[in-house]
Amino acid sequence: MVFEIPKIEYSGQIKKVTLGSDNSAVTVGGETSYPFHLFEGGVPNLPRIAMEIYDTPPDDWPEAALAPFEGVIDDPVNWAKKCIDEYNAEMICLQLLSTDPNGLDRSAEEATAVVKKVVDAIEIPLIVWGTANHEKDTEVLRKVCEVCQGKRLVIGPVEEGDYKKIAAAALGYDHTVIASSPIDINLAKQLNILLGNLGIPEEHIIMDPTVSSIGYGIEYCYSVMERIRMAALTQQDDKLQLPIICNIAKETWKTKEVKTPETEEPKLGDAKKRGILMEAMSALVLLLAGGDVVVMRHPEAIKLIREIITELTTS
Amino acid sequence: MAINSKCPRHNVHFEPDNIIIQVDTGANLMETAIAAGVHINASCGGAGVCGTCNVLVKSGQVESTRTDKVSQIDYNNGIRQACQTRVFSDLNIEIPVGSRLEKAVLSREIEELSTQKPVALVSGWSFKPPVEKVCLDLPIPTIDDNVSDLSRLLRVIKQRCNLENISVNADILSGLARILRKYNWQLTATILLETNSNYRVINIEPGDTRKSHYSLAFDIGTTAVRGQLLDLNRGMVISHCVDYNRQISYGEDVISRIAWSQKTGGLKRLQEAVTATLNDLIKRLINSAGVEFQSISYMVVAANTVMTQLLTGLDPKYLRLSPYVPTISSVPLLKAKSIGINTEEHVHLYIVPSVASYVGGDIVAGILGAGVHQSDETILYIDIGTNGEIVIGNSEIMLAASCSAGPTFEGGGIKHGMIATSGAIEGFEINSLDFEPVVSTIDNAKAKGICGSGLINVAAKLLESGIITQNGKINTDFSTKRIRKGEDGYEYVLCKKAKTQIGKDIVITEIDLDNLMRSKAAMYAGYQTLAKSMGINLTNIDRVIIAGTFGNNIDIKNAITIGLLPDLPRERFVFIGNGSLLGSRLISFSSDLLFDGETIARKMTNIELSENVEFMSNYMAALFLPHTNMKEFPSVSIKKGK
Repeated sequence: MVFEIPKIEYSGQIKKVTLGSDNSAVTVGGETSYPFHLFEGGVPNLPRIAMEIYDTPPDDWPEAALAPFEGVIDDPVNWAKKCIDEYNAEMICLQLLSTDPNGLDRSAEEATAVVKKVVDAIEIPLIVWGTANHEKDTEVLRKVCEVCQGKRLVIGPVEEGDYKKIAAAALGYDHTVIASSPIDINLAKQLNILLGNLGIPEEHIIMDPTVSSIGYGIEYCYSVMERIRMAALTQQDDKLQLPIICNIAKETWKTKEVKTPETEEPKLGDAKKRGILMEAMSALVLLLAGGDVVVMRHPEAIKLIREIITELTTS
Repeated sequence: MAINSKCPRHNVHFEPDNIIIQVDTGANLMETAIAAGVHINASCGGAGVCGTCNVLVKSGQVESTRTDKVSQIDYNNGIRQACQTRVFSDLNIEIPVGSRLEKAVLSREIEELSTQKPVALVSGWSFKPPVEKVCLDLPIPTIDDNVSDLSRLLRVIKQRCNLENISVNADILSGLARILRKYNWQLTATILLETNSNYRVINIEPGDTRKSHYSLAFDIGTTAVRGQLLDLNRGMVISHCVDYNRQISYGEDVISRIAWSQKTGGLKRLQEAVTATLNDLIKRLINSAGVEFQSISYMVVAANTVMTQLLTGLDPKYLRLSPYVPTISSVPLLKAKSIGINTEEHVHLYIVPSVASYVGGDIVAGILGAGVHQSDETILYIDIGTNGEIVIGNSEIMLAASCSAGPTFEGGGIKHGMIATSGAIEGFEINSLDFEPVVSTIDNAKAKGICGSGLINVAAKLLESGIITQNGKINTDFSTKRIRKGEDGYEYVLCKKAKTQIGKDIVITEIDLDNLMRSKAAMYAGYQTLAKSMGINLTNIDRVIIAGTFGNNIDIKNAITIGLLPDLPRERFVFIGNGSLLGSRLISFSSDLLFDGETIARKMTNIELSENVEFMSNYMAALFLPHTNMKEFPSVSIKKGK
């Protein structure tokens, strides 16, 4: 008798969502099986990595994270280009840190000008990530949607508390929204329903279930994502059949384990290696749970993840 | 201030009750009101956090801490929280409408009680009250047959009633010789069935008194106490009464009552409050029926576990502490008088046994009345209240759970919430073009607030018209003056100031909607969790029995629209009114059912929801209108965006 790997019967499929416009557009989603279960079903689109850049020089990044971007961190356009030219980025995620009302509190106009410059300078999909402050994001992201009409941006986070106005602008100017909910399958689903009620087509939504680093509750995120995929693929829950994006880099690089220099805590070992591994392993966990897009930072961590994806998907 | 060696006393005058009481300086105003027998609402039991006990100090000097429950404007106008206020001079206090308890409130319910058809779904029992009156003609003693009076009595009873085990209450002995001889050895004995085959003679009366043989049945609720006087000869209800449980002055929910019972003398005061309520009701019941006080032979009470323990004077402290253990689940038969109930010495009180800390005798009585324990069909029994009680089962298995739905359905936690009384908005329709509401109130009085059933109707219609979104938020995209930003966020104006009794607009706020969603989510998650424990889907439920007086006024369709009731065909829903009272009444009528009640209490399995992970997950999924999983509500359609 020949051994047969037991197979799961799937009844659902993740929607395909196309990010970006024209020739450079990238399609994610479309899975008919659990992550990397190539032996069971189709994984038509492999997971993608978006490289993050900031609209203002970050002041809390450890040395190891800054080094690869030396000379460009004060210019988002050059930063994006460096990611593309040197590190082969497939997508860029622009984090609008400077708009934080508790920080620099830059105006919607200023932020929009930066987004516009970046989007005009690159030919790959652009994700624009706000600060999760409802009032400010509403102001900023609506403006961004308007000014970047036709660029098919990926705009977020869109949360229950601010979804209406931001999503309406995204709908009006033809962008994709990031439906962001706080680590709960029901809340994720509820937001998708609300967005649907607003008239946002499903192929314009990507879900952000909220993620955290290894050591900071990633098991919980894993479990929620796993349940989302089970509901979507085996329980015909069409409100959850959407691709997932994980904004993980900033979560890993802010942890104590990554930020503490080797001089302070020799036992922890090489700080650069630590940071890279923490980022890569966190990203891997989330990919295994069902992430379709991971937002990453360090080129070496990205390289590692690319290799793993290749290994897991070539027979 | 300096404390005088001689404590000055002050007169406190309460309006509109027009009651004056004298108290020591520094006395708490809430306690003063309680002592005067003046009712002031106090949901939190005097902790200062609910803001329901506001009173107007018209004249005199008080000391009071202002909490955020009293706005600065109200404070400047003399509004104080009674529980936070101390008396320092003679006072004139007015209790505003909002803080007052209205006797008229329950008038509608009395009407309903008396028009209610006697729905007893339970079957297979015979009319055989646990207390029987038998008229006996004893053979007159002779020199050959000169056994004692008592032996003679027992001998005849044994022969007549064909009884083996019979005992006697010692207190009948003192009058025995006289009573036997009064009507030439004719007497009426009252015989109580104690356990399955043990009987006890509890009373004897001269002559034939069989015609006057009555029982009392009570449902002691946390909020209201409902009673019926029953004719044990004819097996019918001859009068009803309802009143608020006087314990309300010590907090509106069971948790605040338990907290109060922990104060010095608190337990005793709570017990006295409920027995005073019962005594008053008993007086009203027998007066309205024209029945003699002496002809009451029996009494049955069904209540939740906390009420049961407070009635019998048992410390309820451990009921609310994990692992939630009651002192007793089956209260032994006791003399009503021994706990302060005003009845004849021989009247025994039967308390319907409970299952667990939060699944009380009221549920057991309801299940009994509804006949769930006999049914081949699977029944979902729901009692919607502050403590929502849920049972799923049939003749083979019964699972029970209690979930804390909160006071929403009784008007608590809602800005303009009130109990279902005159002036409460109940009916609600909305014009789909201009979003103008059409409201109707109980008794067609000027609107005063909104009651639980009204809240369900309002939420359902607002959802259907798209004015509120599925997450219970007000959709501000509509252009209507009815939607506006108020002090608690966005709100919808149900009734304009000019058309109300309270002199301000009656609104429903997003906070109200949040509270409603939590309440209904707790109930629905309860059904789901129990069904899952039972291994069935809610669609497998053959019949839904809705108990509770609130339940009678629910619009099934609207309740399904907001996800309070499962989406099943309308014909599967049955209302039985007050199930607890129904069960108590039936137990008075049949000892078969008395034993059934005991069996139900033993057979029912309690599922503790407070520490149940699945319940929490179901609850989160139900925090949406009608539900996150729309497949559970196929008949509800939601208006999509523009």
